[in-house]
Amino acid sequence: MSNLKQIIHAVEKHDGFVRKQIERARTERDFGKSLVKRWRRIKENVEQTETPTGTVLPRLALPQTDEPGEIARYLFGEGLPGEFPFANSIYRQMYVSDAAAQSKTAEEPTRLFAGLGLVEDTNARFHYLAKQQTHARLSTAFDGPTLYGLDSDHEGVLGKVGEGGVAVDTVEDMERLYAGFDFADPHSSVSMTINAPAPIILAMYVAAAKRTFGPRIVPKLRGTIQADVLKEVQAQNEIIFPVEASLRFLTDMVEWTTEHMPRWYPISISGYHIAEAGATPVQQAAFTLSNGFAYVEMFRARGMDVNRFGPRLSFFLDCGLDIEYLVLARVCRKLWAIGMRDVFKADTRAQLFKLHTQTSGRSLIAAEFKNNLTRTSVELLIAYLNATNSCHSNSADEPFTTPSEEYVRLASHAQSILLEETGLFKHMMNVFGGSPGLQILEREVERRILEIFTEIDQLGGVLSAMEQRYQRSQIQQAAHGYEQQINSGKRPIIGLNKYPHAEPLPDVPLARTPLARQKKQAARLQAFKRKHIRKAHDALERLENVSRRGENVFAELLRTVEVCSLGQITACLQRCVGRYRPML
Amino acid sequence: MPRHRLRILTAVPICDGHDSAIVTINHELARHGVEVVYLGYNCPASAIARAAAQEDVDAIGISSYNGGHVVFFSEVIDRLHKLGADDIRVFGGGGGTITSKDAELMKRRGVDHIFFAGTPLEEIVNRVITSCRQRKNAKRGLRGDRKLARALTEAEYQNRRRHPPSSILHSPCLTIGVAGPGGAGKSTLIDELVQRFLARCARGRVAVLANDPTHPDSGGAILGDRATMIYSQGDRVFMRSMATRGHLGGVAKAATTAIEILRTSGEFDCLFVESVGIGQESDPFRVFGRGPRLVDLAVLVMAPFYGGRLQLQKIAMLNGADFVVLNKCDRSEARSAKTEIAARLEENREGQHLFTTTAARHGDKGVDELFAAIEQRWKRART
Repeated sequence: MSNLKQIIHAVEKHDGFVRKQIERARTERDFGKSLVKRWRRIKENVEQTETPTGTVLPRLALPQTDEPGEIARYLFGEGLPGEFPFANSIYRQMYVSDAAAQSKTAEEPTRLFAGLGLVEDTNARFHYLAKQQTHARLSTAFDGPTLYGLDSDHEGVLGKVGEGGVAVDTVEDMERLYAGFDFADPHSSVSMTINAPAPIILAMYVAAAKRTFGPRIVPKLRGTIQADVLKEVQAQNEIIFPVEASLRFLTDMVEWTTEHMPRWYPISISGYHIAEAGATPVQQAAFTLSNGFAYVEMFRARGMDVNRFGPRLSFFLDCGLDIEYLVLARVCRKLWAIGMRDVFKADTRAQLFKLHTQTSGRSLIAAEFKNNLTRTSVELLIAYLNATNSCHSNSADEPFTTPSEEYVRLASHAQSILLEETGLFKHMMNVFGGSPGLQILEREVERRILEIFTEIDQLGGVLSAMEQRYQRSQIQQAAHGYEQQINSGKRPIIGLNKYPHAEPLPDVPLARTPLARQKKQAARLQAFKRKHIRKAHDALERLENVSRRGENVFAELLRTVEVCSLGQITACLQRCVGRYRPML
Repeated sequence: MPRHRLRILTAVPICDGHDSAIVTINHELARHGVEVVYLGYNCPASAIARAAAQEDVDAIGISSYNGGHVVFFSEVIDRLHKLGADDIRVFGGGGGTITSKDAELMKRRGVDHIFFAGTPLEEIVNRVITSCRQRKNAKRGLRGDRKLARALTEAEYQNRRRHPPSSILHSPCLTIGVAGPGGAGKSTLIDELVQRFLARCARGRVAVLANDPTHPDSGGAILGDRATMIYSQGDRVFMRSMATRGHLGGVAKAATTAIEILRTSGEFDCLFVESVGIGQESDPFRVFGRGPRLVDLAVLVMAPFYGGRLQLQKIAMLNGADFVVLNKCDRSEARSAKTEIAARLEENREGQHLFTTTAARHGDKGVDELFAAIEQRWKRART
């Protein structure tokens, strides 16, 4: 039986188990009584808090019931925050952040994605953003050439260097990118949004950190690299090696970081790009979860322990304006926990669906673009109602450009307003959790996700379905439907197909990288190549041998990046394993 | 010469994977009767200009979302000029990423029109089609690949078929016909063979003539072979995508003339002719003596899922092909498929070769063997 089929069974079994517990609670007196007793104790232990206007509230909102069946439904079906199956949240406390509750280990959820121009430009942007954060949380966007594993002096990429993200070619660029930040600080973290060349880029990062802080920094490095190859094939098209080879390099990297970088998240299993490419919320959740389970299977096949790598898996979802988004993360947490516990026999730490959310880029439009501030705010609200562990809010000017400083600041402030200024989250968890509307929605979303699991299973699992272009065609079909809905007016977009207001395109300040700067990057890279010309040849030969022998490529990359550029390494690996052939 | 079928090449620039808009536009253009040559995403300007010249298209449509569009479009236009293809119109779009100021600058540099976010699909398609109907002329006349490409276009409009040369086996350009059912992996296999040719021979050029069906209702077509043929991209490869324009049988009506033009151009060492996905009765390269043979070497590519032993009896090309390739051998069904096809070929007693390949796998041994066998024929043709 395939893993997905087992997972469907496990979820059905779990739902049956919950029904049975409800039944037992209602019919077996002792069991019912013990539940009621436990329920009272839980309620008594919930801390009280007082709002600025004098209302006293419990920190945790629990269903107002003393009926044993309903108590069982909540405790077994949703779980208290931090308890299986984690529908409410993976941690006991979230967001409740007035002075008393703000412990030293509490995480700020705000993340801001940045990347533009050359490394020194992005470094300056990081320092600007860090001024608004208690701890540095550097979220890095790379430019097109870097995302495709090409050097800044590659033929035909001029114009793209430093556009939409930062250009990184060498370990020296990586040093400059994060200069001035203390990687030894246990509260700071770095995230890198890059996939196909992720092993090369992470190797550069580790090598750069060692250069600055010495070799003992490695186990302390904290952060995330996206490295989600499956979603690239299914949706985002940034893939450079054949799928099998990409997955092998990824597994090499995960194997190495699990061993040597225990605080690193080596993969961020992403639905974001799947949704941006057009998937519906349900498809996003179903494809992301099934991809996640496929990775678990893959890493286990390499002989890795699910309890060691499991806690280092994290997730990244899109949050848009469709109503399904209200419960998407709740359902994902539940399905992931059940799959990991019951099918992969993982312990609690590996059952947690750790989630980063980003508001929907696709929902933002150019017409009357300031409306995007409102759209993003509503999406933020939905994301936090879903108890996301961290969140990025898009800037309103993103339909035109890499966000300008003004709109980046407004996007960041939107989160502060929601979490700090409004009283929606800081006093009480789960203000809305458990409402009848949410419950109905959750049931439907779960049912439809399992339907997609069944389809993927019937196609032979995630990889086989992908070879048959299942996910791609489903996403394209959904994208087409979305466009048709906009054209027909069934999906109102204010300012576009409803209440349009003819105005010329706005003159927003554009963040662009002048050609002279792009050429500077190319020149810098060429100097690096000249300096290492001899050693590069040997290093690439070693890398090629390691790859051909099927040994761990990541371990070797840590040496290769000292003297070779991203493009040199990509070309070398493509010689060994070939190039990716697009699916149409 | 009146040309009523529009041919438009579409692509997404290098380092850009945003293909969702262009895929929608491709379908809309095809629905309006346009032959769309789709180059895919992550396409360098050099590849776009080269493909446009070889395909002799009326226009290029580029959908750019990752920035750098001003430089990119300019490079496409410069390269079109250099290839003597400055009569090809260039259109673009990119949601909100291309500002009105950018668009003005791009128009000054030779872009015909930039479509902004929110332009209805119908309007985009109509405007492109209307502009293309007003033909421009290349400033300095046609030359090189473009000249050859134009000869192929003219062949598509000629009613009379030119006679294929009689001395086919003694031409220095070896013509290899590749036929097979849709989805058997013909394009991938040809691409892998081209890659081996380029790696093996330091000089010389290859031509590929890829046939694809025309939609029976709209008269349009989406010719997508270029997008998946990742190695057949450099200046040493000449590729032409040809829609069948209603001609049944496996290749376009103009294919006969096109093959002759390409063979006798003296440009190529070898020419691959890819049929459309064929059925049981098809004989796209006329290997059964009904008229002159179109190719020197007929290759039939099959996937392991043909439905059973009895089905094999019905496939005509299994009798006519010089080489039979069982592709997708990484599938479990391939084991029995190999036994069954081998037995079927045995019955023919024609000495046909059977190759087992997994063309999608990098450096596949089966493709190596097929290439070696083709190379032998090629050497024989030369001596």
